[in-house]
Amino acid sequence: MDIQTKIQNLPKYKITLEIKAAINHYFQNKGYLQIDLPVLSPALIPESYLEIFETEFRYLDMKKKLYLTPSPELFLKRLIGQGIGNCYYLGKTFRNSEPNSSLHLPEFTMLEFYKVGVGYKDLATEILELLRYIARCISGSAYSFIYQGEKISLARWEELTLAEAFARYSGISGSDLFVEDKFLQKAKTKGYNTSGFSYEDIFSQIIAQEIEPNLGKNGYPTMVYDFPPKMASLAKLSPDKKIAERMEFYIDGKEIGGCCTEVDNWREYKSRSARHMKKRKEMGSINHKVDNEFVEAIKDGFPPCTGAGIGVDRLAMIFANAKSIGELKLIEVS
Amino acid sequence: MTRISAGNLKKGEFIIYQNETWQLQKAEFYSPGKGSALMRAKIKNVISGKNIDYTFKSSEYVETIEVESVEMQYLYKDNENAYYMDERTYNQYTVPLAVIGEAINFFKEGEKMFVYVQNEKPLCISPPMSVRLRVTETEDGVKGDTVSGAKKTAILETGASILVPLFVKKGDIITLNPEIGEYVGREKEI
Repeated sequence: MDIQTKIQNLPKYKITLEIKAAINHYFQNKGYLQIDLPVLSPALIPESYLEIFETEFRYLDMKKKLYLTPSPELFLKRLIGQGIGNCYYLGKTFRNSEPNSSLHLPEFTMLEFYKVGVGYKDLATEILELLRYIARCISGSAYSFIYQGEKISLARWEELTLAEAFARYSGISGSDLFVEDKFLQKAKTKGYNTSGFSYEDIFSQIIAQEIEPNLGKNGYPTMVYDFPPKMASLAKLSPDKKIAERMEFYIDGKEIGGCCTEVDNWREYKSRSARHMKKRKEMGSINHKVDNEFVEAIKDGFPPCTGAGIGVDRLAMIFANAKSIGELKLIEVS
Repeated sequence: MTRISAGNLKKGEFIIYQNETWQLQKAEFYSPGKGSALMRAKIKNVISGKNIDYTFKSSEYVETIEVESVEMQYLYKDNENAYYMDERTYNQYTVPLAVIGEAINFFKEGEKMFVYVQNEKPLCISPPMSVRLRVTETEDGVKGDTVSGAKKTAILETGASILVPLFVKKGDIITLNPEIGEYVGREKEI
């Protein structure tokens, strides 16, 4: 493992600090409570496609498994179940099996926030407001900034449903996107290697190959919303169960964050959790302890709410006009 | 041929994709957290020189091929091809200009570089990190703000033109990166 000191990155590092300060100001002004959380947890909420770091607490003869949190979700949702109300976490999270790249480091800064009583589209509006607040703090203008020579306006989102995005950029219609067999067949016709791969795998590949590079490229950040139920993760389904109430947003072809209306029914939560754990087992992922008490914690009534997550390193990279998140770091470990 | 997981692909390797041979110009891991982790690659076709972006699933198998890299002398070019010679065997090899790209404009005859060869067939070249070329034409005494990095055009001994800082004079020898056609520095006068 190499440790590099990069003092030449000081100006961009300082922009990252200003962005974090702006985020704190924004949420404090809006009445969100900042939550400080452990990064080591004895149990986690299972997520199919996030690998974790496992460690051990030792004392005399006692040994206890601990995991670095891949997201602050399990703690924040417990508190929301207890009535804490609107809140946010700004701090480190950890994801294993994801090597350093221009867009990602295995440990990164995450902003996660929850607003009670609103849906995903309402929170999308608030995310845009947050971006404007940061832009005003950094560049003096709330409505636009320059990234890699291109002007990006924050006056509004470019809005596309996921089905519209697939139709426009990959030629796959909404009726094919939402039906597993049809979707896989379409992907195969397009030349993708589908044998032995799941709907989720091919979905992820086509988004990265054909869709993402076009998002956030028309002078505005793009929000794509309404995901197939299979890609719901912990997002609530619409009343007709046809779509998952989830959105993601992009700037210059890069995914920066997203939000979803949260599952608030404990039975639904439990069955999704079991599905994620099964998938983890199939993939040979680390078999961590599941936070079952969390289910108990939300049984007594979990308020309707929406949660958002934003990769702060990527966001800072955009506002600091950097090509890689490595350009923001004073110490780089590889 | 060897089958490897796309997650292990590295820049410079040669792969078979859609029955054609391509060289990886860039390979970066990407995990969107919804479905398979991915390998985002920029690949260059060794026949047509065409560059494309392709995203592999990190666990899917990709065929890689063993290619030898041989140091050769660049001899000359015509309208379609560049000609190289292996100095150990005096064998000549032909590489299409489309595969070499813009870098060819910065090679002097006699320049040495590596050529990738598979079964005695040249695939493409590995352009040197930098080449030295004399400036044959540039406007002298251009006034400007040197701090902000103002640039002017210079014509080089190969006939190619490039952007250089204002202090570069006619007759200077400069070093440049031929792959991207960018000025690197000026040789100190002896």
